[in-house]
Amino acid sequence: MNITQLKKLSYDEVAKCNKCGFCLPNCPVYLVDGKESSAPRGRNAITRAVIEGRLEWSPEIEKAIFSCLGCGACTAACFPKVKTKDLVFRDRECLVNEGLYPRIADRVARFLEEQHNISNDENEERAEWQEMAKEIPQGALNKDRADVIFFVGCVASFFPMAQKIPVNMSKIMFRAGVDFTVLGGEEWCCGFPLIGAGMSERIKTLMEHNLEKVKSVGAKSIVFTCPSCYHTWKHLYQPDVKLFHASQMLNELIKEGRVKLKEKKVRATYHDPCDLGRNSGVFEEPRQVLKAIPGLTLVELASNRQLSTCCGGGGNVEMVNPELSAKVASMKLEQIAQTGADMVVSSCQQCLRTIATRAKRQKTDLVVKDLTELVVEAME
Amino acid sequence: MERTELIASLKEILGEENVLASEMDLTLYGYDASLEKGRPDAVVLPGSTEEVSRIVGLAYREKIPVIARGSGTNLSGGTVPVRGGIVVHLSRMNRVLEIDIPNRTVTVEPGVLTLDLQNLLLKKGLQYAPDPASQKVSTLGGNFGENSGGPHCLKYGVTTNHVLGAEVVIYDGTVVWIGGKCPDHAGYDITGLLVGSEGTLGMATKIMLRIIPAPEAVKTMLAIYDSIEDAGNTVSAIIAEGIVPATLEMMDNLVIKAVEESVHAGYPMDAAAVLIIELDGMADGMERQAEKIFDICKRHRVREVRLAKSDAERAELWAGRKGAFGAVARLRPSYLVCDGTVPRTKLPEVLGKVIQVGKKYELPIGNVFHAGDGNLHPLILFDERNREELSRVHKAATEILKICADVGGTISGEHGIGTEKLKEMSFIFSESDIDFMRDLKNAFDPVDIWNPGKVVPARQAATA
Repeated sequence: MNITQLKKLSYDEVAKCNKCGFCLPNCPVYLVDGKESSAPRGRNAITRAVIEGRLEWSPEIEKAIFSCLGCGACTAACFPKVKTKDLVFRDRECLVNEGLYPRIADRVARFLEEQHNISNDENEERAEWQEMAKEIPQGALNKDRADVIFFVGCVASFFPMAQKIPVNMSKIMFRAGVDFTVLGGEEWCCGFPLIGAGMSERIKTLMEHNLEKVKSVGAKSIVFTCPSCYHTWKHLYQPDVKLFHASQMLNELIKEGRVKLKEKKVRATYHDPCDLGRNSGVFEEPRQVLKAIPGLTLVELASNRQLSTCCGGGGNVEMVNPELSAKVASMKLEQIAQTGADMVVSSCQQCLRTIATRAKRQKTDLVVKDLTELVVEAME
Repeated sequence: MERTELIASLKEILGEENVLASEMDLTLYGYDASLEKGRPDAVVLPGSTEEVSRIVGLAYREKIPVIARGSGTNLSGGTVPVRGGIVVHLSRMNRVLEIDIPNRTVTVEPGVLTLDLQNLLLKKGLQYAPDPASQKVSTLGGNFGENSGGPHCLKYGVTTNHVLGAEVVIYDGTVVWIGGKCPDHAGYDITGLLVGSEGTLGMATKIMLRIIPAPEAVKTMLAIYDSIEDAGNTVSAIIAEGIVPATLEMMDNLVIKAVEESVHAGYPMDAAAVLIIELDGMADGMERQAEKIFDICKRHRVREVRLAKSDAERAELWAGRKGAFGAVARLRPSYLVCDGTVPRTKLPEVLGKVIQVGKKYELPIGNVFHAGDGNLHPLILFDERNREELSRVHKAATEILKICADVGGTISGEHGIGTEKLKEMSFIFSESDIDFMRDLKNAFDPVDIWNPGKVVPARQAATA
């Protein structure tokens, strides 16, 4: 993208920023870094100055624009609802065009092009987690045709810490009698990391492949455990089948009596993943699932729902600036500690990884679970 | 001193990472929440009084301007570096140093956010009263510099009424203490002088604030009017009756409509004005006071008075007021808030004139303000990118402030003078008044480094 295109797409939006600063205390990056270049208001000012020719793209701007988590908390606090995340992602497209971007993004883009996943493994290995789902008979996970496709996502397929998520989700659906399948090696990355990398034009091939697969399976709906895959499908792919996040499906299954939950005495808090809550509007279903577990006490974080604080794992920041990501995660841990809960539940593999990794490094005894794991435990 | 040399010296004091000097950073510290713009030579993020002292000492020796900055939410150009210099961003100095409950004081560093302190105190049943609309992001250092107000300042007073003392870095970098925990101080009341001086006399590095018990009970009501005059007269009548509500806020029809379209607070779209009246304090006697207010409203032809029956209803009534600014801001890309104050009996007359100004300059103006204090906030709506429109906005703003000054009011209620209202200083001060301020500034700042170009107009500008 060049500046002329940027002006066309972003100028009216960025002109709505009155520099009031109400976004500052909502931005996790500003809270840990304290500099105006880390604040949404600062990022808006950069965008505007570049459009108006008062600033030129520079390595400092690259650093500021690539340190945004894309969490959208700024917009939630903004009166005119300036979409800073969208502005930032468009800036990234321009920066890539100028050659000013973190080079690690090239590697990710290459992995997606060659292997169709973010970890550069053989894509057939997407099925690796299935070995842990022993109770499900051979073949039941990999059908040619099914009502529902379970889109597993790269992180949950390849990162050992997150692999229990698809295992648990499959167990739940199998026990509830849902007619579903996974795509295995035919599932390609949804392309979400490319949006954050400023390389969104490269998504096309991935998107076409995935949409084609959905057609061939004849599915009526797709379920996602990954909020970012869900968000990308919902806003970019827009297929003519129903899209569900796992929490929505779990809620339905519980309400229909197809999933029955036993008592589990625990004091838990719920962390809203940015791409599920604020960015996709799914706040209540995961909470209803938690409340359906007898004996579970749900204590809310002080910043919840629209104002939830990102775990630090958003916007490719974990990849580009791990130190910054860790600082945000530490802040999240403090917020969790203030609730007095014994357990934090989320419904995102990335949040799970970021929070659990930080908790382990800081040697806290906080229990971190995905919603699917907790539901399986309550079923048994 | 060459700029590169300055930056090297600053890095020696603060370390590499706390000195910002790129083109990008200089652009990002050139604005606040007003329409004013400037550009510093360097930005620093000190972590201690000692570092601030060394920065100021260097600035004094080299005659370089120093501009203190908190969250940059100020509304009249107070933190905009109009003559270059060093912007001192105090966000890193954000510790609450002491809460002294028996003496009812709290001591903070200037970068503590106002609402963070208030939330911390509320857990102990205490409160720090001044509540600027930006309290969620504003810093206490900024509140100190601007003498911030807010809805509850009608009853509790503005920031200066809650500052007991401060540690201050003076012009040559020396650190002094002014005021303290005792209720009365010997010598000059320098604290009173410094609060609201917009960083033109010194820089506070620790601030001691008064804390009070949180109110036992709160009652919030919404009074709906078919005429803006009736609403305005109600305000004067309530105060004349000897009742001091915690807040007395008013919104006009343009604002009501904008609020309803965005926040859905339940205000009737066809009302000419609404008042939010809140009582707080002891539970005993509050009922009687509410009845009295209800009677006054009726005498002034109120259409309806709604009483919040629960915390949720109270929050809903306030959501309209707190979201008002932003709701109006959605109508056009930019807004300018005028901050004139008038004797409250003049409110209906002045509001009528403000509407005329809007018509004359063909600009939409919404009114949402602290009616109890007579503190108007006409919001002029426009698009900053349209230069012709922008010039009309500035003319309209000046005219509104002239109207306020002419009825015996003043040009700022709580947003300060900064650079935005320098030319309007002559509306309320004589040349001798301003000369006296210049002498005062000179005594605190012999080499003119403290936030130059603010508050006190330069001699030629004042006589022009």
